[in-house]
Amino acid sequence: MSLNGGLKIVLPILATVAIMAPLGWMWQTSRVPGTYSVMNMGYPDYGGGHVSDSSSGGEMQGHVHNHHSLPSRMITDLIVNPARPADVRVDLVTRQEMLTVGGRPMPGFTVNGVSPGPEIRARQGQLIEVQLRNESVSDGVTLHWHGIDVPNAMDGVAGVTQDAVPVGGEFTYRFVADQAGSFWYHSHQVSNPQVVGGLLGSLVVTPRSGIAQQVDVSAVAHTYGGLRTINGKAEDLRVPTQPGQRVRVRVTNTDNGPMKVWAGGSYRLLAVDGTEVHRPTEVSGRAVTLTAGARVELEVKVPGDGDAFRVQLTKTTAVIIGPQGADVAAPPQPNAELDLLAYGSPASLGFDPAQPSRRFDYRIDRRPGFVKGRPGMWWSINGHLYPNVPMYVVREGDVVLMHIENHSGEVHPMHLHGHHVVVLARNGVAATGSPWWVDSLNVLTNETYDVALVANNPGVWMDHCHNLKHAAQGMVAHLLYEGFDTPYRIAGPADNQPE
Amino acid sequence: MRTAYKVLAYLVAAEVAVQAMVMVWAIAGLSKWVDSGGVFDKSVIEGSIETGAMPFPEVFGILVHGLNGTFVVPGIALLLLIVSFFAKVRGAIKWALIVFALVVVQGQLGFLGHDFPLGGALHGLNALALFGVALYAGRRLRASARRRDVSAPEAQVATPV
Repeated sequence: MSLNGGLKIVLPILATVAIMAPLGWMWQTSRVPGTYSVMNMGYPDYGGGHVSDSSSGGEMQGHVHNHHSLPSRMITDLIVNPARPADVRVDLVTRQEMLTVGGRPMPGFTVNGVSPGPEIRARQGQLIEVQLRNESVSDGVTLHWHGIDVPNAMDGVAGVTQDAVPVGGEFTYRFVADQAGSFWYHSHQVSNPQVVGGLLGSLVVTPRSGIAQQVDVSAVAHTYGGLRTINGKAEDLRVPTQPGQRVRVRVTNTDNGPMKVWAGGSYRLLAVDGTEVHRPTEVSGRAVTLTAGARVELEVKVPGDGDAFRVQLTKTTAVIIGPQGADVAAPPQPNAELDLLAYGSPASLGFDPAQPSRRFDYRIDRRPGFVKGRPGMWWSINGHLYPNVPMYVVREGDVVLMHIENHSGEVHPMHLHGHHVVVLARNGVAATGSPWWVDSLNVLTNETYDVALVANNPGVWMDHCHNLKHAAQGMVAHLLYEGFDTPYRIAGPADNQPE
Repeated sequence: MRTAYKVLAYLVAAEVAVQAMVMVWAIAGLSKWVDSGGVFDKSVIEGSIETGAMPFPEVFGILVHGLNGTFVVPGIALLLLIVSFFAKVRGAIKWALIVFALVVVQGQLGFLGHDFPLGGALHGLNALALFGVALYAGRRLRASARRRDVSAPEAQVATPV
């Protein structure tokens, strides 16, 4: 064979290798072990604060070591006093079964035979004990208490704070309802299909002092197979009231997308994500955006003339408040938005965000690559794809600033477990209203948020996108308290799949 | 390899046609659904596929468009490029590279459209360019194969014994 002939064979092979080798390398490095601990995911980010120790050689790119001089403490210890008796006790049984929504049968999930599951109500300070039994959800289940800053071992994240509860299995959740407000619970095992399929319910904690409104109503919004519902019914929610009464309307968005809420008259926005707004003023002609997972509490007044009052949860469904049989035309969707950056009056935060001990970035982009061996256009966190994402490391007592930035082309409802964060600025504009505390933050594309939190709830906490489809695509990072470790693993014998 | 090249090039063109079809199918289904009182928003689209309970069957078109555009078409274009190295036809690599480049641009414009709708308009325009170029890449190979057949005996004569 001539040299020329040889080249004719070798060159195409070399060109093929030149293309395939980098792709193969990217594919190989994106693969995750059959089972792994989130402690071994990605690389530690100390945010300019105290560095715990060397972080080399994990199962994946980095390995967050906590052995330091002290042995690390298991998060399984992080529970409420087992000797304290429960004030509110609830049994919840999960099933995988057909639902009927708006007359249409569809596969889904129930809690005690219904979706949404029963609402849990407690008074502030009470100890809630929930006995979960999984009757027939084949992938296993957990319950996460969205918005309640529970002790870490009670957070209900499969593979991070517990093992998924298999069919026939049980798990007991115990936590003190310290915060008054509107919250919800949902599965955090194979969470996208399970939550979309209805494995969720409402949890309301009323303040010790009670509420100033005569009527207290919950409206849990969920979309089943394209059908918008309130409290599981594909129709308006009618609330019988007397003229002149004041009503507290608790709205929960359990979907993957943001939702607009507006009213046919003026309202006050009393609370956001379970935290009271300081001195809320009357609002009219403006819509409130609830990101995925978010809650708001509105105060409305029933008209004195016997008419009804409408609170629209999107254009499709409404809460109709008024005397039996009364109705009123649906108010048009306002273009104006209630901007929480400037709503209410400033008040003390209880800490000084000007003296942070850690500063983190949570920058979201989208790029082609491989995640878990699969090619695609993936969400990246600080330029990295899952699982090579940052592990935000803090110490108890730290004041933490986080700069969130989204250039991914889509909206992301960012949800940090176990904590509430306060918004300091959006797009560089400082907050001027009431302290705006959230656990679920709507971050539009090309928006930036500066938020602050106090690290006061030790453990390992998910910090992820609550468009649960995005979480399943790898938009999941964790906040880790130095010195803590988890014995649970992703996949493994319990087949834990938190997303 | 030349047959493989031809098939892959035509496959890219066919896929562009499929992409256009499923999108219009989905939008037609959407407008029919909206006509009957349906309301389409982020939660409706994000939630429908997981439960298998789609608000209207044509939502499937959006799913197909996404999977095709993200995985299948880039995969075919990459295979075409690799096959072109072995095709030993003048210009085969060049046209496979152009197809590949247009596929990359197409994907970027598609995702750009999520944030910047005018990018979506260019996505539609670039689809026509990709369709034409893929078709041409396949057809010119057929023509060059014909030329090769005609010149083959001549070449044999010229070969020194």
